Amino acid sequence: MQGLLLKLEPLIWLVFGQGIMLGTILLTGWLLVVGVAAPLGLVEPLGYERAHALGSNLIGRLVLFALIVLPLWKGAHHTRHISIDMGGGDRDAAVAPLLYALAGFGTLLAALAVIRL
Amino acid sequence: MGRPAHPQAMAPSRPGSTRTAPPELPGQFPFAGRYRGYTLFAWTGVLYLLLGFLVLRVVWALGESPQAFDSVIASFRNPLYIVFHLLALVGVCFVAVRFFWLFPKAQPPRIGPAKPPPQPVILAMLYGLWIGVTLLLSAILAGVLF
Repeated sequence: MQGLLLKLEPLIWLVFGQGIMLGTILLTGWLLVVGVAAPLGLVEPLGYERAHALGSNLIGRLVLFALIVLPLWKGAHHTRHISIDMGGGDRDAAVAPLLYALAGFGTLLAALAVIRL
Repeated sequence: MGRPAHPQAMAPSRPGSTRTAPPELPGQFPFAGRYRGYTLFAWTGVLYLLLGFLVLRVVWALGESPQAFDSVIASFRNPLYIVFHLLALVGVCFVAVRFFWLFPKAQPPRIGPAKPPPQPVILAMLYGLWIGVTLLLSAILAGVLF
């Protein structure tokens, strides 16, 4: 498993880095409106018809896919490193595959979610 | 292309005769001095992981039915969700500020024949992109645009 993780390391670092960069850039607007302003009644909440129209075209699907997948991989990789820093490298053999499998599963579901829009 | 090296590939097969001190954590780790920012930056990973699955829940519901989507959006009015989203917003802004501060410093002096722009220009571009995309996305999601 460690050998596989080493082989996948460039790919993991790519999505981790883009999770920090693009994930952060996309998440800020989402959190401001969908997470805070709309629930507090500051703006009109997103209705189904409008959300579907925005999300079901190619650009919308790509943005939604990035909005799910990039934070997942950033989260998985950083959480792995917190685990190493706080608890030592011994547990990494179990923690790393678990976290990356979680992010991978989320990526698969994200692909299905945007395809079925 | 060769195989990736094993992390312990350079380790000696037998312990050497030179005694080395056992590794120990720095005194300020994890939350004092310069480790505070480093540790908090890494802990935002947990927030991002949760946020990724939360956005997935919204998009999944969008593909399910109008009722499922409206139910997920309505659930965000729960005070616990609002507190979580506020905390996540602070975390995301912290990641942006820290990463944008680090990014210009991490540029190589040359990329092929080209020199990267000066650090203040890179910083201005990153902040411009972040603020611009945030305003655009916020306007679209709030129904001001499109």
